[in-house]
Amino acid sequence: MSARSQPGPALLARERPAGVGPGPGPTLPASLRALVRSSLPFLLLLAVWWAATTALHPRATVLPSPAAAARAAGPLIAEGILPDYATASLKRIAFGGGLAIALGVPAGLLLGSNRLLSVAFTPFLKFFQSLSGIAWLPMVLVWFGFTERTIQVVILYTALFPIVFNTMTGLRTVPPRLADGLRALGAGRWRLVTDVWLPGALPSIIVGIRLGIAYGWRALIAGEMVVGAGGIGFLLFQSRSFQQTARIIDGMVVIGLLWIFLDAGFLRPLERYTVERWGLVQR
Amino acid sequence: MDDGGGCELSARPGPPALARERTPTGVKIQIIALRHEYRADDGRQLLALDGVSFDVSENEVVTVVGPSGCGKSTLIHIIAGLVRPSAGEVWVDGQPVRRPGRDRGVVFQELAILPWRTVRRNIGHGLEIARVPREEREKIVDRYIELVGLRGFEDRYPHELSGGMKQRVAVARTLAADPKVILMDEPFAAVDAQTRITLQQELLRISVLTMKTILFVTHSVDEAVFLGDRVMVLTRRPGRVKESVSVPLPRAQRSWDAVNRDPRFLAVRDHVLQSVRAEVAS
Repeated sequence: MSARSQPGPALLARERPAGVGPGPGPTLPASLRALVRSSLPFLLLLAVWWAATTALHPRATVLPSPAAAARAAGPLIAEGILPDYATASLKRIAFGGGLAIALGVPAGLLLGSNRLLSVAFTPFLKFFQSLSGIAWLPMVLVWFGFTERTIQVVILYTALFPIVFNTMTGLRTVPPRLADGLRALGAGRWRLVTDVWLPGALPSIIVGIRLGIAYGWRALIAGEMVVGAGGIGFLLFQSRSFQQTARIIDGMVVIGLLWIFLDAGFLRPLERYTVERWGLVQR
Repeated sequence: MDDGGGCELSARPGPPALARERTPTGVKIQIIALRHEYRADDGRQLLALDGVSFDVSENEVVTVVGPSGCGKSTLIHIIAGLVRPSAGEVWVDGQPVRRPGRDRGVVFQELAILPWRTVRRNIGHGLEIARVPREEREKIVDRYIELVGLRGFEDRYPHELSGGMKQRVAVARTLAADPKVILMDEPFAAVDAQTRITLQQELLRISVLTMKTILFVTHSVDEAVFLGDRVMVLTRRPGRVKESVSVPLPRAQRSWDAVNRDPRFLAVRDHVLQSVRAEVAS
């Protein structure tokens, strides 16, 4: 469809004058247009990759072509390896991330509710946040061995600190007058937590959850490489042993795609139905 | 409570009433020798209030006016139980004030309604806290939505409302909780002049309708005289009661048009204006 054959409404026609050439016409829905727009950088990367492999002819064990990577994906999916490993990784992030939220938000509320506590704990939290979950991996391996538990502990640890931190600082952004107003209505401590502090800190808590799960997702891949109990990280490391570079790239693509879907399917809606609806953040 | 003391509503501030043992009949708020000192951000000790005593009678609207920094706002916070005074006492309905409670509703200058609750759920919040059953709560909320003119906006969030409408929600939330007294701390200071006039007229109407006891703090002399049965003029810091001025026209007969033509009302307004100006100038 070209812009000339379908002029569309005047307003949109002005944005995309006739004669500019073919492209997504003005009648495409906004969401689809956004999808097309955000795909462009990926297509560019794909083009560069394709050009490089075509021009330089590297050995397939060094850098496979896009076509080779796509071909390798066929059996990975058909044999059920990719679906199994992706499911394993998603289950781990769901468990570790869920636990981090369940523990981190209350801990952050507790520490943030008391000025002395939050001052006392800030350096402590910073110290342990810098020790990423991966730095703990050797220690955790000694404790729990090459097990599922090791991976879970690493994700939980990594995701926990950003959530605690952001919950704590989020409390400081809630205007004290909101709590005063509610206390004057006879609200007790628990009421203040559920009706004022928690929703008030939510924009910051969501940022913390987002960071925590994003960091946890990275720690998960590293943990799976070392532990070797299945999962996308394991797929990457195992493929390396056999120099199956096409599979490595496929695994990396899946890591990135799964994160985008996780963010769009879980974290964005959480934001849309809470803080955006309340007018606490503008988009 | 009281078993029938002699003095009815004491219109004058009078001497510090610590000696008084019982709350006189009809007195709703009793402020006794209130003194409040606090440490400012720069470390200096400041005296905000010094020996403030006065009563507010049942169904009475008392407005407090004074130069900025005279401790008006502190006074409201102390009566609300949100700030503990350095010395002195406040009694509300025969009970000493120790902490915030739903017998004292507060409307703040800065908006204190919750952004994450719709108009309806904000107004019903006090009832929710008091565990009023949902059905009854909805009925009461409905009545106050009507009273403050927010019909059609029940399910909006505060960020979708104008400043004046938000303050209406705050007033309705306080009224719906049915407190014994209502404390208002410059509630209309942040809205535009036109809206402010409308809100003042509405509060006047509501005060007559609901017969609530109201203590209203403002820095606007016009507002103080328009809304109050009595205007307490505070001195500049440290705030003391300078005088108590009765406003002649009954509230039920007031409107901005009416009072601007009433010579008695204008005389009182000029008197209060002079009184406050003298404080600012001195």
